[in-house]
Amino acid sequence: MRAGHLYLLIAVILMALSFLKDRQKTKEAAKATFKIFYVVMPVLIFVFVLMGLIQAYVSKEIIVSILGQKTGILGILYAEIIGSIALFLPPAVFPFGGYLHNNGASYGSIAGFVFTAILIGVTTLPLELKLFGKRFTLARNLLTFGLTFFIAILMEGILR
Amino acid sequence: MSKILKNDAFWFLFLSVLITLIVYGFNAAKGAIVAKTVYGTFFEVLDIIVAVSIFIGLFQVWVKPQTIVKLLGKGSGLKGFVLVCTFPILMGGSLFTVFPLLKALKEKGARIGAIASFITAWGGKAPLLPLESKFLGWPFALVRIGFTILFAFIMGVLMDWLGEKTAQIKKEKSFLVEL
Repeated sequence: MRAGHLYLLIAVILMALSFLKDRQKTKEAAKATFKIFYVVMPVLIFVFVLMGLIQAYVSKEIIVSILGQKTGILGILYAEIIGSIALFLPPAVFPFGGYLHNNGASYGSIAGFVFTAILIGVTTLPLELKLFGKRFTLARNLLTFGLTFFIAILMEGILR
Repeated sequence: MSKILKNDAFWFLFLSVLITLIVYGFNAAKGAIVAKTVYGTFFEVLDIIVAVSIFIGLFQVWVKPQTIVKLLGKGSGLKGFVLVCTFPILMGGSLFTVFPLLKALKEKGARIGAIASFITAWGGKAPLLPLESKFLGWPFALVRIGFTILFAFIMGVLMDWLGEKTAQIKKEKSFLVEL
């Protein structure tokens, strides 16, 4: 049995339990599920095209030389910069990260990419500024970038 | 027609097809690589994406953000802080949905450290674990979530410390002006 089928089975069972408990809420959940799928899938396909472009035009050696284990700290920094400016939805972060890992990027670099891609976003910056002010936004984003760096180094040490 | 043009889903799909076709036009072999990557990955993740969408949908209706806010409001102090560093890991959604929620939390008097911790912990993304473990393996996924808690904790402490520090400087400044 594929892992994906197992998750589907669990999801369907949970859906059934939810239905038994509250029909109205389950209807809402189903609506939300369709909406999420509808928003996420096109973005994912776009990311798959990006992955295909890298597959076609960027050799594994180049990825290894930028994000591989031997680049160490610098590789993590590059990955963090990519993550900070990448306009990724969280569900697209993991396939892309996994793809880079299969092509020679280190766990530390992937950690740097994943944390910054989820937590630092050029697209959400205006809203954060508006709601929480300049000082908070600047401090949070800089601290996120800095702390990610140390955590990525630790993760590389643990996972390699 | 104008409705379609305002649709993000349409544009992502349109660009995807367009890019693939352009690459194919210039170099058929490279175009085939792109198409094969898209096709292969799509069917590799389809069932997981469906499952994850169901998980997030169920979570959205059964655990309302308001419940979380209430929960956090109750346990101030250490208990509240621990909750703020762990509970948001279970949430789905994007920062666009999280920020307004936190604004409300702030107006109710939450510390900025708690807000920064919440955002960081929200990055844990437990509902996406099936996807993450598929592409990066369970060791990576679990270690990352473990570190997310530590990350959120340190973030909160540092943000509160910074907040107090700037408040202090402001106070001293206004004191000088009064003098």
